Amino acid sequence: MEQARAGEYDAFVAARWSVLFHLARLLTGGDRHRAEDLLQESLVKLWFVWPKIADEAPEAYVRKVLARAAARSARRRWWGERPVEELPETAADGDLSATVAERSRLEAALAQLSPQQRAAVVLRYYQDLPDRQVAEALGCPVGTARSHASRGVARLRGLLADVIEPVG
Amino acid sequence: MDRMDQTDRMDHFERQLTRLMQQDGRPVSFEARHREALRAGVRVRRRARAARRAAGSVLAVAGVGLGLFLWPHGHTEDRPTAPQPRPVISPAPEPSTSESQAPSGTPSSTPTGFPTPGYTPTTSEPPSTSGSSATASYPSPPTDTATATAGGTTPPATASASETSEPSYDPSAAISPSG
Repeated sequence: MEQARAGEYDAFVAARWSVLFHLARLLTGGDRHRAEDLLQESLVKLWFVWPKIADEAPEAYVRKVLARAAARSARRRWWGERPVEELPETAADGDLSATVAERSRLEAALAQLSPQQRAAVVLRYYQDLPDRQVAEALGCPVGTARSHASRGVARLRGLLADVIEPVG
Repeated sequence: MDRMDQTDRMDHFERQLTRLMQQDGRPVSFEARHREALRAGVRVRRRARAARRAAGSVLAVAGVGLGLFLWPHGHTEDRPTAPQPRPVISPAPEPSTSESQAPSGTPSSTPTGFPTPGYTPTTSEPPSTSGSSATASYPSPPTDTATATAGGTTPPATASASETSEPSYDPSAAISPSG
């Protein structure tokens, strides 16, 4: 019984690790180590509820735990983030592709947002969730989730103006 | 449906933002060290849950034990004590009043016949009746007085009480021989 449960759980984690890690990384503003910690913590929680939700939506559960932990983290602990006027220059090594450079800029810009804004933006644009589900994942009213997302995007517009060229 | 509407309403920047976020970098594989870390995390959490549960049980048992320890043992101790009896031996000089009060007052204060703590101080208190055996039997119920004065010659308690207490209370008795 326990063996079967462990096997299913391992299969799920192995299959979804990459996607979930990517989500965790965006939620932490590109902090790889913190993203790993956050994901480990969420997957450990998943283990204890696995018999109940294995057949339903384990990924949605992990997403919710990740988003809430990421949005809450700033209130619990200081992670060394400092708001700055301009984004730090990213290393433009020759072997880095344009995609990786864009990605780095995106993560650096996300790191400038507040944890709640970042979580709302990531769930809304990366996970493509409607406002209602974003609010549910963050555990706040729909209006609040919408407000976090719109403020976050407004901030990103300024921060990523040179990466994403306006049309026209 | 919500999702479709949401995507339709996006402007150019939001679409580009979505594209940027969704372009995956290099895929990250689930390595053995990740598996080990997960197992360790599960073990730690399981241990913490077991410890929390054990601590809760110990606290519950301790609470119940303390409650039982502090719980009063006897039923009679729970009862409210009877009102303190008024001093039945009044310093009134007339013997006729004390005679009429003594037999009737005592049973009314203790209808059930239980010996209450309030009796003992009042019976031994009066200094004027020191040395008399009637004072001990005076406030207590008739059954007690019968046993207390069993060695005496007077069978009824009220009679012995009135007889022995009379000389100390009545000043006229001391005056009459001279007059």
